[in-house]
Amino acid sequence: MLIELKNVYKIYSEGLESEVRALDGVTLNIERGEFVAIVGQSGSGKSTMMNVLGCLDIPTHGDYLLDGVDVKELTDRQLSHIRNRQIGFIFQQYNLIQSLNVLENVELPLIYQGVGAERRRDMAIEALNQVGLAGRMKHKPSEMSGGQQQRVAIARAIATKPPIVMADEPTGALDSHTGHEVLQFLQKLNKAGSTVILITHDNSIAATARRCVRLSDGKIVEDHLQEVDWL
Amino acid sequence: MNISQAVKMALKSITGNKGRSILTMLGIIIGIASVMTIVSVITGSNKKTMEQFQAMGTNKVNVSASRYDGRDVFDELYNYCNGLGSDLVLGVTPNSQFSATVVYGAKNSAVMEKNQNQMWGGQSGDSGTTAASTELPPTLYFGSDQYAACNNFRIKKGRDLTQVDVKRYAQVCVLGARAASTFFNYADPVGRVMQVNGLPYTVIGVYAEKDPDSQWSLDNIIVFPYTVSRYLAPGTQMSEFVVKASSADATTEVTSRLTGYLAGLIGNQNGYYSVYSDNQSQQSMNEWATQMSLILGGIAAISLLVGGIGIMNIMLVTVTERTREIGIRRAIGAERRSIVIQFLIEAAMLCGIGGIIGILLGCMGSLIAGKLLLKMTVWPTLWITLSAFALSVALGILFGIYPAAKASRLQPVEALRAE
Repeated sequence: MLIELKNVYKIYSEGLESEVRALDGVTLNIERGEFVAIVGQSGSGKSTMMNVLGCLDIPTHGDYLLDGVDVKELTDRQLSHIRNRQIGFIFQQYNLIQSLNVLENVELPLIYQGVGAERRRDMAIEALNQVGLAGRMKHKPSEMSGGQQQRVAIARAIATKPPIVMADEPTGALDSHTGHEVLQFLQKLNKAGSTVILITHDNSIAATARRCVRLSDGKIVEDHLQEVDWL
Repeated sequence: MNISQAVKMALKSITGNKGRSILTMLGIIIGIASVMTIVSVITGSNKKTMEQFQAMGTNKVNVSASRYDGRDVFDELYNYCNGLGSDLVLGVTPNSQFSATVVYGAKNSAVMEKNQNQMWGGQSGDSGTTAASTELPPTLYFGSDQYAACNNFRIKKGRDLTQVDVKRYAQVCVLGARAASTFFNYADPVGRVMQVNGLPYTVIGVYAEKDPDSQWSLDNIIVFPYTVSRYLAPGTQMSEFVVKASSADATTEVTSRLTGYLAGLIGNQNGYYSVYSDNQSQQSMNEWATQMSLILGGIAAISLLVGGIGIMNIMLVTVTERTREIGIRRAIGAERRSIVIQFLIEAAMLCGIGGIIGILLGCMGSLIAGKLLLKMTVWPTLWITLSAFALSVALGILFGIYPAAKASRLQPVEALRAE
């Protein structure tokens, strides 16, 4: 089992009147190589879910085992290593660093991994080739369209060849055509063996995944396999 | 993340916002420039003072002693000093000034004196005096064969006074370098005969120049055997002496022993005496210089402190502005350590670049201040330059610690949420 959430709670201002249970006793297992869509309306706790799954945040209660390792026991440094090596993030707002050019953005996780300059460049160019942007690696993010920026972000996420790719509303800021391309690319990644977790509020986007987990008020209300809408 | 990557990133961030970076550096630039200038000028002035003391001779004990009955104390002093032994005293000589008219060819010390008096008296109108006015009349001394050793002179041409000259009332003299050039220009003075108060005196030697810079030069002297005072200044008593001690410690020892000896020899009833060493004035000069450098250095340090706080302030602003960037970096795997290093290096580089500019300005400031205040070329030493650079980088690191720590403590989730 790659991901195991056991009765996980994420509670803000616990014990106060303003207490918010963003995750309210979630239990979820995800196998290696799955393509899972986590669907829910805003406020359903899906972003918190992604933060917990992505080791950006630690659950208040309950256990999260990633590849058999209890995340609670890890130091900040070890969590950084996991984010760097095991997980590739794709965000709604792309989250590229504006002062760096495309190549430098894609190289960034490899720099933190300590990969040497030459190999780093090769790996980054390979990732950019996969998203069809190797020709624009000297451009600044601000000189590119939203779709292109999201493809750069995808290249950055896959440059380290992580086993898990997490996408948080990856099409949220894109038009339907470029959004379509991004989802297609996620399916391609999954076919190639990556575990993909897609977080969205949109059922039609969730339909691109084999498995759909629906969240409401911090609880899983639905978890089923579905016909895949191949793009 | 390795250091060269961090340096590249820091450089990008500094050059990305040039105007703000330069304004931020201004405090460090001014601080470093003023520290450099102050330290260089004080070092230069100390060096100059030390050189002057060196030229006058170190470890000198100046003795003034005279008896009301007119009997000379030199022989007694000479014997006493010889009795102290060579591990304390290296030489003893009279050092009495006297006035006389010295003439060689067209050169006349009385005329030089008159010209000087006119110049300083402000009586202008005689245009013929201006050409001669740079010639200062020499100072005349009575000394013994140990005059040169006591006053740190060295013979360059001819020979020095000897004991025989002194014993035989030889009508000879030795010239300082400035006096030699005043009277003889470039000709060799050795063997020439000068008229002193109308009497013939043969030049037997010339001392090497030791104080080329100042106008009232230590080299503008003529030394005669003290025994010829009976011809040149009848009735004068030798009352000024110089005793050369062997070391700084010996100077203190000799000063106190001589004071005791003269108290016994002359006392307060029979005459007057005083003993002091240049080392004492040298020491108080040094103390004064140290105090000056502490005060000025303190002021400069305050300006550096203000500059450092400016750096800290702007780094805090930078951290706030780049919260999202920090969040992104943390999300894709940057450790806290990497974030700390990144911001520390940025602060250190900001200060380092400011330091380099400050050093350049400091070099210029030292030159200008040196010319204006000391009339000499003051150039910061390599040691001062390197320390100034190290200091600026250290300031950057010191004042970068808090902002860098703040940046690294940001929670990834919250940092990513920032606009």
